[in-house]
Amino acid sequence: MTPGKRQGRRLPRLWVILVGMVAGITAVVLCAVSTFFIAQYRAGMVQSARTASAQACTQAAVTVARYVRDMNEVMELVQTSMWYRSTERDEFLRDLLRVRPDVVAVTTYTEEGDLLDCWVLDHKPRDEILQNLSFDARRAAETDSYVTPPHVETIFEGYYPWVVTMASRLNGNEEADWISLDISFSTISEYISNVGIGAHGYCFLMDEEGNIVYHPQQQLIYSGLKSEDTARLAQMPDGTWAEETVIYSITGIEDSTWRVVGVSYVDELVDLSVKTMLRICLAVAFTVLAVVLGAGWVLSRILSRPLAALTAAMERFEQDADHFTYEPVAGTREVEELSDSFGHMVQRIQHLMATVREEEVNLRKTELKALQAQINPHFLYNTLDSIAWMCEQNRNADAVSMVHALARLFRISISKGHELIPIRKELEHAESYLQIQKYRYKNQLSYQFTVDESCLDCLCNKITLQPILENAITHGLDLMVEPGHIDVEVCRDGEDILFRVRDDGVGMDEEQVRHILHSEPGDRTGIGIKNVNDRLRIYFGEGYGLRIESELDEGTCVEIRMPQVREGKYETK
Amino acid sequence: MRQNKTRPAKRLILAAWAAALSLLLTSCLQTSTAGDPHKVALVVKSAETQFFLSMFAGAQAAAAEYNIDLTITAPESEEDYAAQNTLVEQAVADGAEVILFSATDYENTADAIDAAAQKGVGIIAIDSDVNSTAVASYIGTDNYAAGAMAARAALERVEGELNVGIINYGLNSANGQERERGARETLTDSGRVGVVQTINTRAEAKSAQADTEALLQEHPEINVLLAFNEPTSVGAAAAVRGLEMSDTVFLVGFDSNVDTVDDLQTGEVDALVVQNPYAMGYLGVESAYKLLTGRARELQSIVDTSTRIVDRDNLFAMDSQKALFAFD
Repeated sequence: MTPGKRQGRRLPRLWVILVGMVAGITAVVLCAVSTFFIAQYRAGMVQSARTASAQACTQAAVTVARYVRDMNEVMELVQTSMWYRSTERDEFLRDLLRVRPDVVAVTTYTEEGDLLDCWVLDHKPRDEILQNLSFDARRAAETDSYVTPPHVETIFEGYYPWVVTMASRLNGNEEADWISLDISFSTISEYISNVGIGAHGYCFLMDEEGNIVYHPQQQLIYSGLKSEDTARLAQMPDGTWAEETVIYSITGIEDSTWRVVGVSYVDELVDLSVKTMLRICLAVAFTVLAVVLGAGWVLSRILSRPLAALTAAMERFEQDADHFTYEPVAGTREVEELSDSFGHMVQRIQHLMATVREEEVNLRKTELKALQAQINPHFLYNTLDSIAWMCEQNRNADAVSMVHALARLFRISISKGHELIPIRKELEHAESYLQIQKYRYKNQLSYQFTVDESCLDCLCNKITLQPILENAITHGLDLMVEPGHIDVEVCRDGEDILFRVRDDGVGMDEEQVRHILHSEPGDRTGIGIKNVNDRLRIYFGEGYGLRIESELDEGTCVEIRMPQVREGKYETK
Repeated sequence: MRQNKTRPAKRLILAAWAAALSLLLTSCLQTSTAGDPHKVALVVKSAETQFFLSMFAGAQAAAAEYNIDLTITAPESEEDYAAQNTLVEQAVADGAEVILFSATDYENTADAIDAAAQKGVGIIAIDSDVNSTAVASYIGTDNYAAGAMAARAALERVEGELNVGIINYGLNSANGQERERGARETLTDSGRVGVVQTINTRAEAKSAQADTEALLQEHPEINVLLAFNEPTSVGAAAAVRGLEMSDTVFLVGFDSNVDTVDDLQTGEVDALVVQNPYAMGYLGVESAYKLLTGRARELQSIVDTSTRIVDRDNLFAMDSQKALFAFD
């Protein structure tokens, strides 16, 4: 039988579906969650980076403001000292320079900007100063609080430190009109260089015009290896400005024109964390996938495998129901129930099949018995006619042998109700029949038996040969004018026994052969060839039975194949 | 059934996959901690001149930025290539992964550098090139242009005929020879040059001073002096001061030394060709870092660091200040 076509597409295996579904859902959820989370995280990180930057800047601004205030105080002290007597003043300034190493020099100038006096440790001003970068009288005149951008101290010989200069007017002093402090970056650098924002962020100090006052990487900038866009930064008001990759934080310094600029890098602060997040997400995703694969494996063990085993068992059963032995399949309860049901079904089907076969055999037996009971009456009264005619002709001896043959025929036909009889008996039966027929056909018929003696004790179904002989006589020889001949041969063919009945009658065409093998005797009585064939098959299975070869005008050969059967083996069947 | 037989194999493969993936992940999750810093050796010609001190500052700045273990060595004298070769070997022995090299001698240090390169050490030439194919990048001044620049400085500022004395250092120094070639060709092209006299002196101020004095006395017609590195400039300026010839002799020196800057203001020195050693040092270490982190393709074979002329007029211009004076 072939299973009916399934509707729609065939679904893949159960565990594949399960794994696919779980993995898919997990992937989608993870994607969504991580996208959302990372966006949130990034925003948060940017915000905190802004805050950190602003805080660092404010901190730096406070310290720098304190320093500026400090310097203003120093300036006041220095201013005051200008009214001291010269020895006291010199002593005071020398002490100051010693205590404050960041003050490089104290210098006084005239209104025109000519250098008057200079207090400095270990150096002395040049006699001829090429250009004094510390003080520009014209610029100083325009402002009250004079602070220069960074410049090199140019008034000494062999000493060129970078300084900023702050100058202040000496109101009412007789000697000098201006006093200036040249301040080195040693202290400011401490305040600024140590401010770090993130791994690479930093602070620098610039003035209102965008000149860099102090930068932790000032020399890099001076060497042209780095630059800051100070012109733009100078235009920006105080506050924190997050740009694409950089966060600028600008804070003004109290009492000063200087401003602290904090620079930090968004990517560095944020992207690192985001990368970590991504890594974690990936790790989770892969772990889930691994778990799902494991679960799939387990599921397949629990569910699919027993089902597959069951399917395999069913396929085997489908192919060979007779020899199938059922083995229970272990699995979940559902599978076991299914398996048990299948087991019951197998038992039931096999039982039914056995019953059907038995009934079939019984049916044939009954049929045979019924047929035997009414073995061709024509044959009987024809035979009796022949005997009567022999008696009339005083051919008593012939009559006697004829009666004997008839008696033997009937005795063997009945055979105490056994279905299987020794081949010896069957051949006797056949010979009796042929004997009778020979008399009847007035010696127009001749026959010959060729028998392998070793086969004689094997069993065969009774009345196997007679219907074939009858067929040979009535269909093959009856219609002939010349005498006919029948050869009966019994031999072994491997494990089987072969009966061969050959006549030299008119023969049959293929249509007739098929008809004989497949139709009931119909109008005629007696046991048909089909009946013989059916019985053999029921008893011994497919592969046994009749094979007919026939050629028109040449004759017919019927081959009967059956297994070697010894006493007792099939008798009970 | 047929599929059943192949399935356990497939599952095994899947299980192996899962195991491999989880292993990969755990290794991924371990944050890559920075290992020991890369070792880079800076082997130069001198640890005395301000030129090299400035280079060191640049190199150290970059080393700090890129977390590099930087060692700096130099021979006692700028002519002692044998000592420098030993330093190169020492650096290799000490496990340097890249050597930043400023050659005392273009030819005679080549073998030591090749030997180091053979052992897998990266070579970057800095300031002074070496005759080796192992050099991944040269970072420094375009010396021919610098020599020409010195000559042009004199040509532009001195009227009439120029009688030139060239105070050069080691004949084996590629830098000095390139500078001289640039200067000579520029001078010759101008057509205003009489005598061009070269002396080769040691790269050390005292001997440069003595040799310059001898040259000036021998060739009193000389009105232009070109000194091609820092010590020879200092020495030449001292000679000019000693002979009180600052008004008659136009001296073009090299590099920024406190002495020559002083002398520029007082007139013994009339112009300085200022190189950018800080940038050389910084870029050198940066290139070494690139070499060590698999970014060798970003390296250029020649990196020309800037050079500028400083004379009395622009001495204290902001750009000159930045170029001349180190910011500590």
